[in-house]
Amino acid sequence: MSKYTLKCLFVDLDSRSVRFEQVPQDISLKYIGGRGIATHLLGLNPMLKAGEPETPLIFSAGPLTGSRLPSTGRMSISSFSPLTNTITSSSVGGNLGIQMRMAGLDVIHITGKSRNKLVLCIQDRDVSFEDVALGEDTPLQEVFLKLSSRGSVAAVGSAGFHGCLFASIMVDGAYAAGRGGLGYVMASKNLVAVTVRGSHRPGVGDRYMEGITTEDILRLFDASPAIMGVSGIHRYGTVSLVDLMASRRMMPTANFRKTFFEQYRAFSASRIVSTFKATHNGCYACPIRCKLKSDGGKELPEFETVSHFGALNENADLMSIIEANRICNEVGMDTITAASTIACLAEIREKKYTGDTLVGKVKEMASGKGLGELLQMGSRRLAEELGQPGTSMSVKSMEIPAYDPRGAYGMALGYCTSTRGACHLRAYPISHEILRRPVATDRFSFQGKARIIKIAEDVNAVIDSMGACKFAFFGASMEEYALGMKAVTGLDIEPQDLITIGERIFTLERYINCQRGFAKEDDFLPARFYKEHGTPGPGLEIPPIERALFKETLERYYRVRGCSPDGVPTEKRLKELDII
Amino acid sequence: MMETIEKYLGKLVAQGLVDSSEDASLFSMDDRIYSKDENIPQIVEYLFKTLNITSLIIARPSRLILNIIGELKKVCPDRIAPKDSESITFIHDIPVLQDMDSKTIATALKRRKGCIATDGSIIATGSITLEQAFVVFSSICFALFVKYFSDVLNSLGGSHGNVHDECTVIEPSSTILGMIGPPGPIRRPSLVIPESEYDVISTKVDTGKATVESGLVDSFFGNISYTLDDYMYISQTAAALDELEGLIDKVALDGSSTNDITSSSEMGSHLRIHELTLDRAILHGHPKFSVIMSMYGKPMELGEKRYLGDIPVVYGRVGAGKKGLVHVLPPAMQESRAAIAYGHGTFTSGSESFLDAFDKMLYIENACFEMLKGLLSI
Repeated sequence: MSKYTLKCLFVDLDSRSVRFEQVPQDISLKYIGGRGIATHLLGLNPMLKAGEPETPLIFSAGPLTGSRLPSTGRMSISSFSPLTNTITSSSVGGNLGIQMRMAGLDVIHITGKSRNKLVLCIQDRDVSFEDVALGEDTPLQEVFLKLSSRGSVAAVGSAGFHGCLFASIMVDGAYAAGRGGLGYVMASKNLVAVTVRGSHRPGVGDRYMEGITTEDILRLFDASPAIMGVSGIHRYGTVSLVDLMASRRMMPTANFRKTFFEQYRAFSASRIVSTFKATHNGCYACPIRCKLKSDGGKELPEFETVSHFGALNENADLMSIIEANRICNEVGMDTITAASTIACLAEIREKKYTGDTLVGKVKEMASGKGLGELLQMGSRRLAEELGQPGTSMSVKSMEIPAYDPRGAYGMALGYCTSTRGACHLRAYPISHEILRRPVATDRFSFQGKARIIKIAEDVNAVIDSMGACKFAFFGASMEEYALGMKAVTGLDIEPQDLITIGERIFTLERYINCQRGFAKEDDFLPARFYKEHGTPGPGLEIPPIERALFKETLERYYRVRGCSPDGVPTEKRLKELDII
Repeated sequence: MMETIEKYLGKLVAQGLVDSSEDASLFSMDDRIYSKDENIPQIVEYLFKTLNITSLIIARPSRLILNIIGELKKVCPDRIAPKDSESITFIHDIPVLQDMDSKTIATALKRRKGCIATDGSIIATGSITLEQAFVVFSSICFALFVKYFSDVLNSLGGSHGNVHDECTVIEPSSTILGMIGPPGPIRRPSLVIPESEYDVISTKVDTGKATVESGLVDSFFGNISYTLDDYMYISQTAAALDELEGLIDKVALDGSSTNDITSSSEMGSHLRIHELTLDRAILHGHPKFSVIMSMYGKPMELGEKRYLGDIPVVYGRVGAGKKGLVHVLPPAMQESRAAIAYGHGTFTSGSESFLDAFDKMLYIENACFEMLKGLLSI
């Protein structure tokens, strides 16, 4: 096996010192990069709290990041979440991961807290710290404008500095490490931005094989209706899902009290594309190009954002959705949590926040002043503070995204077993439950879902660790990307070996969360989903999920995952996976 | 789980993929292994423990495929790399096992979704459902059949000019040649000219079943559409053509909805064919002999066109990408209301009824069978 070691830059903001280290080969091979190596590094000290200076903020690229393989421009940003208290990791596009790899870095590990606000600047092996004079409310676009000459930029906006628990980190102006409050962690270190520029393209073991694999992957992209089809995300971006979620009656509406919003066409893909004469945008080396831009060059929101600022808040005003998204990106806030928290407030106050009122609430939230101080704590804390905890539609304090769990039972389980709170991307069963790729499963059944979800979680953990994009797997599979891994790294590795690495990563994440106090009772949906019907459609009932059946499936999942009946990974499984 | 196992066991037999239900063992796993067999073989337990899969089929394929495997193994002892379009896209290659110990099988299945055992059995896996393992099994059988005959044809050499890079010269086996015949028994769909949404759906369901039952496509492949008023009704992606109930998307022709993100990967071609021909009924199957004959001669490249009789053969990738069939197939269909996609399958259309489209597909398949017979002097 070829020598495979990850290159790590350790940065201490207290002393403004740095050191370069190679991660030992055995660890590099076990965790491979991206989300995996970050999980290992965070697991070395699993009880740290978000916001404490010694808590690491980790930027980590994958071994495929910057290769010519399709859809491999991604990297991970990881830490402990101030919102959920779980380990958290966010896959993000843009150029940062590629620039890191071109600078010869796989990992940037940041600890400590600067006395003044600063920018960490990396150019190949040169690292410098630059104090910046930026006002608290400087819009992120100004930060990017100011720093873009330094290479790729990851920056935190004013929301992070105002203490928003779901502050995001924005990369290159348009790409969000959105969920879980990584921006809060970055701001707590007084770190305004990280810039990276590299000048050496990472080496490739077998350029010919890389080319062959690229063709194999592109062929599968072409064959996937969800990617390159007439209504695929290549053409309409992720908002292509709006119509489908509405017709499947799983579009969360009115804070999940309904599953259908009659005016959904106000923000459908065709409406957005025609209104803004939208064009495509996307990450490096990605033919999918899932992001949409207006003809004026403005970023347009993605499906989750559109659906939650739209249907979840019963808001049919497209312009206010666009504006709410713009504000979130300008101050650095996760749009899913922001929209869901406002919907939660609306339910508690028995009001609707739509149009300008919705935008006003987003601004209030961004300012952190008045009610905004409570809003920026997320829906769980807001609902508890206002005496109605049952109105927070969250799991482990993370708000549920725009796929109603009553309409897809694998998704219901995946929200609960996700290691960072309710996240659609950890298992991503939308692929087979809705998009029918690679085959369809019965969305209203738990049959087989325990093992399906477990395997999908492992697969997605290694996708995030390689630096690939999950959308690629609406077409291609681990077979092709494993071949790509061989070509790029020279490692003798098979698809199933990669999935086992993913299993190691996911199991370690779960183990860390258990050490931090999470238990079986945290693996359930809010009570609403077990009691209330969704909105029916033609020939379609959306009943509540049977709680006993859900619990039974969860317990099956624990067995498949190698956990105790309480959901804690067993010592036996931890040893089998070489975690301990 | 057991119902699903019964269903796919039945389909293996019904589609002639195995000769008898006794020849196939199907397994599904969630937190335990489900099977018709009371005792789970150790090797199955080992594979489920070692591999991240949810389903497994171990089955002796039909006698015809078993014979083909025997012949192909003589010249491809380690792996078989079929060159039909579906195999290139989804299967890549099929490992051939030299040994039947657990580790050898697991090593092969760590790399690929299916493999061929020493006794000619096919082992197929699924990472999500048993249907996936069934599809892998069915795809391997189809790929082996097509590879064998296209290899044999191209090994005739001379003016046929074989340059398939993975092709292996094979002497035709008289046993195998004696086992093939034209498609049949044939069950034609009923002659209905749909006038309502209900008609469209019921006719499509019937035609899908007839196409599978007549052996013009394996159930998981192919697609079918009908245009009525302002909508195209098209089968969903990954829908079994003989089980289309509830799996038909209604697509607005004005592009005002993106609901069709779940539609067949060939929807772009269907839309364009309808635009160019105004034909309402479009049928796509994978008739074996048509696919084999489309591969007779030099491998094709994007943009090339040749003819089998009057029927154009075009090359393009599955789907709507830059190199997709969507760019080359519809003009060919405009020319003759039928076309064969190289190494892939046949598209036919009917102005108002599926029966026209079905009959054309059957006619082409019979003609291709006759051509093959002639070339092989059967």
